[in-house]
Amino acid sequence: MSARYLLRRLAQVVPAVAGIVIVAFVVIHSAPGDPVLALAGQHGDAAYYAFIRTKFGLDRPLPEQLLVYAGNVLRGDLGVSYVHGRPVVAVVLERLPATLLLMTSALMASSSAGIVLGVAAARRADRPADLAVRVAALVGYATPSFWLAQIAALTLALGTGLFPVQGITDARQAWTGWRYAADVAHHLALPALVLAANELALTTRLVRSGVLEALATDYIRTARAKGLPELAVIRHALRNALLPVVTVIGGRIGMLFTGAVLVETVFAWPGLGQLLLSSIQTRDMPVLLALFLLVSLAVILTNVMTDLAYAWLDPRIRYE
Amino acid sequence: MRRGQRSVVLVALLVSVTWAIPAWLDAQEGSARGGTLVVAISADPGHLNPAITTSGATHTAAELLYNGLLGRDERGDAVPDLAESWTIEQAGAVYRFRLRNDVTWHDGTRFTSADVKFTFEEVLLKFHARTKASMGGALAGIDAPDDRTVIFRFKQPYAPLLLQLDATEAPIVAKHIYQGSDPQTNAANAQPIGTGPFKFTSYRKGAEIRLARNPTYFKKGLPYLDELMMRVIPDPGTQVLALENGEVDFLWGVPGPDQNRLKSDARFRMAQTSYHPGGSNCIMTVSFNLERPILKDVRLRRAIGQALDREAFLRQVLFGEGRVATAPISSELTWAHAHGLNMPSFDRAEAERLLDAVGWKRERDTTRVARGVPGVPDGTRLAIDFLHFPAFSKYGELMRQQLGTVGIDVTPRPLEPAVFAPTVFKDRNFDTNVISYCNGPDPEIGVRRMYHSSQIGPAPFTNAAAYRNDRVDTLFDQASRTVERDKRSPIYRQIQETVVQELPYVWLVETPTTRAWSAKCGGFKAWTGLFAEAAFCKR
Repeated sequence: MSARYLLRRLAQVVPAVAGIVIVAFVVIHSAPGDPVLALAGQHGDAAYYAFIRTKFGLDRPLPEQLLVYAGNVLRGDLGVSYVHGRPVVAVVLERLPATLLLMTSALMASSSAGIVLGVAAARRADRPADLAVRVAALVGYATPSFWLAQIAALTLALGTGLFPVQGITDARQAWTGWRYAADVAHHLALPALVLAANELALTTRLVRSGVLEALATDYIRTARAKGLPELAVIRHALRNALLPVVTVIGGRIGMLFTGAVLVETVFAWPGLGQLLLSSIQTRDMPVLLALFLLVSLAVILTNVMTDLAYAWLDPRIRYE
Repeated sequence: MRRGQRSVVLVALLVSVTWAIPAWLDAQEGSARGGTLVVAISADPGHLNPAITTSGATHTAAELLYNGLLGRDERGDAVPDLAESWTIEQAGAVYRFRLRNDVTWHDGTRFTSADVKFTFEEVLLKFHARTKASMGGALAGIDAPDDRTVIFRFKQPYAPLLLQLDATEAPIVAKHIYQGSDPQTNAANAQPIGTGPFKFTSYRKGAEIRLARNPTYFKKGLPYLDELMMRVIPDPGTQVLALENGEVDFLWGVPGPDQNRLKSDARFRMAQTSYHPGGSNCIMTVSFNLERPILKDVRLRRAIGQALDREAFLRQVLFGEGRVATAPISSELTWAHAHGLNMPSFDRAEAERLLDAVGWKRERDTTRVARGVPGVPDGTRLAIDFLHFPAFSKYGELMRQQLGTVGIDVTPRPLEPAVFAPTVFKDRNFDTNVISYCNGPDPEIGVRRMYHSSQIGPAPFTNAAAYRNDRVDTLFDQASRTVERDKRSPIYRQIQETVVQELPYVWLVETPTTRAWSAKCGGFKAWTGLFAEAAFCKR
């Protein structure tokens, strides 16, 4: 891949982000609802509502608000949260690590387990093990994550007592060092598992069908004829089968974030998903815009990274 | 001091002592000092300054850090807190408070009357929406003639003051922290300094707030707990599971379907209360838009009232947690709540008869049509919309079902709170709606806004019906100037009799909430924001 291609792809990010800022701004500000009510409560008088409106510039015409906002974004200023009264960047950054941890864990777990299960199912195609994996994948794909989260909390947490049902750490202990890490991992297990379930199902189905297809090709027959060990044969088949999987994983970052909103709410995981939900409820527009911007950027950059992964997975692909 | 005023002070002192004894005995019985209490809260408060907001999230999380001039006892009456006594002068136009001299802020600075004057003038009357709206126009000035005296002067007698001075309505903040700054952006909002039973330790945004025992708290011996942790758990179902799993000790509310399970479990204790930092003594109320011709005839509104089985709302929506409303003012405000009113009782046949009498006739369709209804073209279907918060969707379903049986077609329109308020109060684009109107500790705070004609307008959660009655306006004005409760009660009775006759609203159910806590803990005062001031946990 040439550096020129990479630069060109990254340059395309700029107009895409500008478009996102404008569309998101217009959509959010055109949606019904008034942040002033959420801020001032239900007992304010007209003068107080006017004061709040002026304070946050909400009394100005929408195009003027958009210009001011766009100018601020260009200077790296995403504004001040109506609800939190602090810079949006700080509000978002303090929640980012929790969501990154949750999404990365879920993505890694679903990708690695999906590959293992998909390969296992493909190697035992149409046998009971394959059937079981296919049915489980279908059920996993069709199950809404908020329901699965409730069931997991009831059975695996309350039922066995092995897992906590909420939070990122134990409320009664202020651990440090490795015990803190272990505490976080203990709290992470259930939400990550629930968030991973849907992705796991999809990855398993894709890997299974990809590997099945690859196993029937001539180069695999040749590899087997040369007497290659089965593990090496699978590795060859998997490399080709992974192309669509990488495409899907890259494209599903946004979906994973959607799942994180629900999972974070059920498990009281203090991340961006919870922040997004509460910001929608309170019409905290600067925070909402920042979150849309962040997620859009993540999706765009993941797509660039997916392109890079293609070239690594398939040496025939060249970008000029 | 007049004899009557002296007795008010004496009664207040007596009540505060009798209130303190059971909490003290509880603690002695448990012989529990120390330990950590974990409290589930539903939302991240954003900041911890309850003086600049009426947000329930902030008040729930922050009130234990502060005090008001006065507190409230279990019956809702005022008791001493930062002020140890008070007198009422000039028939209620002047209130004089004597402050305690043993109070210090969490940073060691001495608390004085200057803090009170500053808090009201620079913070509460500018940023606390309820205090600003109710007291702002009535107050003439606040004086602090010496360190221990605060005088509130009103333009005319002002009745509700004593119930507007607790940590929910008027938490006192430190002048030396906020002076010369914008109270809304002061860094202390995230690292607060108060006078309350607990001191701020840490705040992890969106996750938890840790408070520690204030060793220099002016109420000697209190608090019992070493540490109090507020854990943000947005989902009510998860809150209950966390309590059952031993991860939290105290819940502010329990969803109806979970209540029986917790009730039958010896590991937990429960109590009902009408107090909530976001609004107390709430009644789910159906508003009629009186500006719509279809709803102008009181017989139609009475027919709707009589077609509604309010017991069914209590059973099916609240799972029995509450009471059918028997008056426009909450039964928790015992002195203002009227008994024996002619509230519309559930009588479907009478509802049908009234509708026929107005001119709403049953024809081929199941929905009635207008035949000679004044102001309504003949042939108009009796179809109304019903706006509600998404959380109140069951009210919409029951309304549609129950009114459908008498030939009224109801279309529920769920709207988020931020959309609901401007639609109802600014655009007035609705026929009917349901609102949880909270009466507050005094009818002047939460009832007047529903009926007084000055309260029709864009400000949300005011007079949704756009009800106008000069006599009712006059009565409310008279009640606000009358300090003695025994003289205010008959005024509020007259108001309630009138509005029950004219029915701008139908009052469905009173909605107290259920607190739940681990049986290992006790000493909670569910009726105040300082709910854990005397709490303890046995470990």
